[in-house]
Amino acid sequence: MIEPSRELRDVCAIVGAGNSRLGRVPGVSSLDLLVEAMRNAVADAGLKVSDIDGIVCRGPDESYCHHQRVGERLGINARFSTTLDNGGASQIMSVALASMAIKVGLASTVICGYGRDAWSRTHSSEEARVRNETRPESLRAQEFGPEYGYFGAVAAHAFGATRHMHLYGTTREHFGEVAVAFREHALRNPDAQMKKPLSIATYHEAPPIVAPFGLFDCSLRSDAAGAVIVTSRERARDLRQPPVSIKGFGSYNNLTGWFSGDNMVVTAAKESGEAAYRMAGIGPAEVSCAQLYDCFTYIVVAQLEDYGFCKKGEGGPFAASGALRIDGRLPTNTSGGQLSEAHAEGMLQVVEGVRQMRHTYPAERQAKDAEIALISGHGGNQVCHSTLILGRA
Amino acid sequence: MMSKEKPVPHPAPESMPYWKAAGQHRLELPRCNACGEFWFPPSQSCPHCLAADFAFTPVSGRGKVFSFVTFHRVYHPAFEGEVPYVVALVELAEGPRLLTNIVGVPVEKVACEMPVRVVFDDVTDGVAVPKFTPG
Repeated sequence: MIEPSRELRDVCAIVGAGNSRLGRVPGVSSLDLLVEAMRNAVADAGLKVSDIDGIVCRGPDESYCHHQRVGERLGINARFSTTLDNGGASQIMSVALASMAIKVGLASTVICGYGRDAWSRTHSSEEARVRNETRPESLRAQEFGPEYGYFGAVAAHAFGATRHMHLYGTTREHFGEVAVAFREHALRNPDAQMKKPLSIATYHEAPPIVAPFGLFDCSLRSDAAGAVIVTSRERARDLRQPPVSIKGFGSYNNLTGWFSGDNMVVTAAKESGEAAYRMAGIGPAEVSCAQLYDCFTYIVVAQLEDYGFCKKGEGGPFAASGALRIDGRLPTNTSGGQLSEAHAEGMLQVVEGVRQMRHTYPAERQAKDAEIALISGHGGNQVCHSTLILGRA
Repeated sequence: MMSKEKPVPHPAPESMPYWKAAGQHRLELPRCNACGEFWFPPSQSCPHCLAADFAFTPVSGRGKVFSFVTFHRVYHPAFEGEVPYVVALVELAEGPRLLTNIVGVPVEKVACEMPVRVVFDDVTDGVAVPKFTPG
């Protein structure tokens, strides 16, 4: 087996992190949300935008050569610039690619980010919502889905939830604890989209969307963006923020499909995590906080298992034990996650992982003694996965 | 405005034989002449051995529910009168898994591993959609 290069462990650092306004930001495009987050990241790092010589980002699906639009808006040329296409796994892949580019000298300071006007684009009209949720009619072939009334990512993930419940006895009570814990975290985050407490009773009373998922199993639709800046550890020493070291990353893609084999129950987080652990030279026991891609409650439960925080099938009871709370065994999605902070397809998970490693939060938001953060990205029709491991430099 | 008509299949070229057979109430999947495996969705080469020598071949139409979900929310206006309805992944006896509806049974009775058999829902002239029912 090819080992992921340990030469990349602790070579690069994240020196700036920022987010846009989150939640409902009418009249601001995906691109401008992203640029807002990037500006904040540059300011956070104490850099000038002209210091940036690399851009790696993912565009909204309809944007051609999105990195070029980003450079235009930032007013910079770049030595290394590209757009990725791994869905919600792209954001960590951006940081990984940035690290590789820096290591081999193709760039020195790379900005990575993602933004989307998902709330605005789906709330302008009912027609816009339906169009968004049932996919463009212009798609060349439409078969094996729409004719059965099968639409959307909720249903796709719900298939995994049903199967997991069948195999392991996982319950909606377990999923509910994921939603409730993350909401608790969001209430401590003034930027979060969700402001109201969520009780397990309210979770159960909510209307079903695509069973077994109800309303609170589903992540938010947000206007939201996040961005981070990657540079060499050496350069990071002279900058404003406590540098956060990139210790490891990995990815895996179950390209045979979500419906194939056991992919909907044992996710690509397993292999992606193993690769990242090997690069970082640690295991799950060393992880002190996690920022997991939480498009739906179930996918958090599956990842807890696939990353080795508990045994396969025990993710539900692990979550229900309170482990994910800010004062729990594995503080997880400490800013509220996509279920309660805002949904920027994994980018805000990276931003929060960086902030946890800086130890600059007030006590109520800081994962205690957090030395290592594990961050995940998941997407591309549920099968592309990426993992980032950060540590205090 | 979005059509109130249910979406009908707009097949990719490689799935035309599948839909033609379905229109005549036969369930036929591509089967590899080299390794003997069935696969789905249809494509021009076998995903098991990459051979391009295959034939659409009738299957038993029997299988079991691998997993399923129940739509309560209306995503498309044509399904307004249908909720709640079950979308399932059925694993055929021959191996491949098909996305489908489970019909002829109350939604709350559908379960993983439930044995099912194919039925055909005629949607327009010559077009029928394979669905599954317990049995």
